[in-house]
Amino acid sequence: MNKFFLGLAMVVLLLQSVFAGGPAAQKVFPYGIHQSTLDNGLKVITIPFDSPGIISYYTVVRSGSRNEVEPGLSGFAHFFEHMMFRGTEKYPKDKYNEMLKSIGADNNAFTTDDYTAYHTLASASALETIMEIEADRFMNLKYSVDDFKTEAGAILGEYNKNYSSPFMTIFEKIREAAYEKHTYKHTTMGLLKDIMDMPNQYEYSLKFFDRWYRPEHCALIVVGDINPENLNALARKYYGPWKRGTYTLDVQTDVPQTAEKFVELPWKAQTLPVLMIGYHGPAFSDSKPDMPAIDVLSQVVFSQTSELFAKLVVEDQAVEFVNGGQQDSRDPGMFLITTRVKDPKNIGKVREAIHAALEKAKTTPVSKEKLDEIKSFLRYSYAMGLDNADAIARSITHYVQLTGNSESVNNVYDMYDKVTAEDVMMVANKYFGANNRTEVLLTMEGGKQ
Amino acid sequence: MKSVSLLLLTLVLFSGLLEAKTAVKVTEIQSPNSPLVTFRIILRAGSINDWKGKEGINALTAFMIAQGGTKDLKYQEVVAKLYPWAAGINVSPEKEITTFIGQCHRDHLDKFYQLLSDLLLHPRFDPDDFTRNKDLLVSYLQKNLRGTDDENLGKEAFSIAMFRVHPYGTAGGSVQGITSVTLDDIREYYAKTYTTGNIWIGIAGGYPSSLVDKMRKDFSALPDGKFIPVELPSVAMPEGMEVDIVEKPARATAISLGHPLSVTRKDKDFYALMIANSYFGEHRTFNGVLMNKLRGDRGLNYGDYSYIERFQGGTAGSRFPDVNTPLRQQYFSIWLRPVQPENAHFAIRAAMFELNKFVEKGLTEEQFQQTKKFVVNYSKLWAQTLDRRLGYKMDSEFYGMSGDYIERIERELNTLTVGDVNRAVKKHISPTNLKVAVVANDAKSLMDKMLSNAPSSITYQAPVSPEIAEDDKVITSFPLGLNKAKARVVPVDQLFENESPGVTLERKDKNEKK
Repeated sequence: MNKFFLGLAMVVLLLQSVFAGGPAAQKVFPYGIHQSTLDNGLKVITIPFDSPGIISYYTVVRSGSRNEVEPGLSGFAHFFEHMMFRGTEKYPKDKYNEMLKSIGADNNAFTTDDYTAYHTLASASALETIMEIEADRFMNLKYSVDDFKTEAGAILGEYNKNYSSPFMTIFEKIREAAYEKHTYKHTTMGLLKDIMDMPNQYEYSLKFFDRWYRPEHCALIVVGDINPENLNALARKYYGPWKRGTYTLDVQTDVPQTAEKFVELPWKAQTLPVLMIGYHGPAFSDSKPDMPAIDVLSQVVFSQTSELFAKLVVEDQAVEFVNGGQQDSRDPGMFLITTRVKDPKNIGKVREAIHAALEKAKTTPVSKEKLDEIKSFLRYSYAMGLDNADAIARSITHYVQLTGNSESVNNVYDMYDKVTAEDVMMVANKYFGANNRTEVLLTMEGGKQ
Repeated sequence: MKSVSLLLLTLVLFSGLLEAKTAVKVTEIQSPNSPLVTFRIILRAGSINDWKGKEGINALTAFMIAQGGTKDLKYQEVVAKLYPWAAGINVSPEKEITTFIGQCHRDHLDKFYQLLSDLLLHPRFDPDDFTRNKDLLVSYLQKNLRGTDDENLGKEAFSIAMFRVHPYGTAGGSVQGITSVTLDDIREYYAKTYTTGNIWIGIAGGYPSSLVDKMRKDFSALPDGKFIPVELPSVAMPEGMEVDIVEKPARATAISLGHPLSVTRKDKDFYALMIANSYFGEHRTFNGVLMNKLRGDRGLNYGDYSYIERFQGGTAGSRFPDVNTPLRQQYFSIWLRPVQPENAHFAIRAAMFELNKFVEKGLTEEQFQQTKKFVVNYSKLWAQTLDRRLGYKMDSEFYGMSGDYIERIERELNTLTVGDVNRAVKKHISPTNLKVAVVANDAKSLMDKMLSNAPSSITYQAPVSPEIAEDDKVITSFPLGLNKAKARVVPVDQLFENESPGVTLERKDKNEKK
């Protein structure tokens, strides 16, 4: 057994503390978090983790499709993520790839509504190499107009691969219908017409980099075989010269929706009818009760143990699946329910059953036994996923981009423990009214299913 | 005297019977400090064991177990028990094996194991669960693959084209096959297939040793039976380029190409090809020639990769392949993610051009050294969890390998020279004899272009480098060597309907239902 595998056996020791003394007795995140901030505003977070020889290195930029405030430029945060792999003067694209190749790194990135994350999984001995090339591209990115236009082709390719799925299309349509002004109106991928125009937006890409790829909008998160002092010293050396920016974002907010919306969407290829129902929900908060209560409500009404699932999926077998929930987001997001109906004639019945389940949640308190089960599920499912350095880094990235505070993960799980049956009824009444609802029904073009 | 002889005979026979009972195979990675326990219980049967006319019976039986109930508990009661533990039971029916995957926290191990073992040993086979699972499997082929997932449709079409007259040649079942399966068929398939010889238990994590003894004992209650592998016919190499173009409404064109490969992980040449393949098309990295030339330099699509064995997963979240998808007969493949329809002909030619160059020239010493170093380091990232380590270990045993696969990679790679790698490429990779599967909106138009061998034009958003422009002059009319007798357009509705559209499968199947 080599050193790497031995380490894996030791890693899990720490996980045990999650549940020691009962689910609610300890912080849900069992590892020590060391957070500091450089003079230029860059947050540096170290989480020592027993994965000998391995580190997971994340750079998170608090810039996602939420930041795309100008019309005609949807999808730009994601496009920019691609451009970040086009190199600098010191490390052009080929040299950058060569260095990553030489250390055997797994290196990629992803973009969401609220943030973009760049991640590398590699040998701990390569830490300084990784930091040097990462700091360099975040400060000194440089690409030609031709490179920019060529990369736009890869974006169109990504759109093409994603949009053979009706779920992407229906997701795009429900946001377009539900939001009026807020940038959550468009998806992270962006609208096709904007993607087709991307090759013409080189100048805007320079502006985008200048606005957002600044230390005060970013955090560095390193998990694994690392100690905080070493990381902080290296961060000062490589990221210290990074200058703050000046741009401030003005995301327009929506007034509350006042009437129910409904969109019909045809699909050319074979599909069963897909119904998506959305309600405007709250923003993420680790101190207000709404978002934790919404998460509990999603389990009460839509988990596999819910009455609705039992009726629609198991007993009546009217749908292939039904699920519902809300992603954490910096601004008020949407609670989305998705179901695929087996027979088009049952669409109305299924919709009514979903509405009725949410109505019931407004007046019927969830039992203590059920509430305890849900809290147990939430804690165990979170903690069981923290079994490797990359998963831990990704989880902390999520909370850091939401609030800027890595402790938010513990705060929000403490909030879950405090959710009451009354809280669940409160959010059911507050957010699940008909006037706050948008529905999109996707069916096969021509009526044939 | 007679009675004594009879007694002796009976004892001999009885002890003979005891000895003859096939022991349940167990693979374990005990990690006493781990709070998690992961189970991978493999049935050494897959879609290759499907009965003729009932293609999909293996997958449907597996779902009836993993997504069904026990003798004592209905499906919903099983789900309710698992829920507060956040524990899951899933199944992955593959071509050669079927893997039941369960994971729980040690806090719930006893109860979880009881549930998992009850599902496998005392399945409920409830008529309502049967309808639900059957509908899901048929819908997966009819609606998901045919209508809503062009990338996986392309991969399955490629697999069917590659293994047209072979037990591997289905997408885990067919619409007609699954539709014709009855609940009695499921019961019979279970009784005949879930035997002591076919069940292979994998467990990893913080479990007590006594659990392994208990599992051996519990699973020995299954019907006795030796594991008898299904005989596989050899897979013929394509003659020139053989093309299936699947026609369906599609906004872009997905492309796969490749050919059978005679080596697997157990063979030394596999490791030489591992370096070569990483250089040519490492999955979802910018190390590969294909990715750099087609996406990086030309912006043709989102990604372009190559593989020397079946590669499942690796497209969402992790970029590493799923474990427990082994095949005794492997294949080499190139996957071009969807391209704009007007560039499809060019993209196929560009892949062929690069493949020809790769086989002809091989790697330089510098490229070899760089790639070897990368693969040695990169492969150490593949098994970061106990669950994946267990999966890799079981895969190694499937291939008859001793020791750890990841460690073997480093060991084998360090014995190789650039000459070994280039020799292996020339020996095992054909640049001309290829199966091609394409998913396209206007299949006939693309087929006409390919049949006529017309030049394929390409326009770019921005000027490309002189080197790329020079290559393009060759690529636009690069000969594909199309085998016109084996080029066809397949309406998507025909795909997955029967075993293989338009072809009568002639299979020697020991498990064929009488």
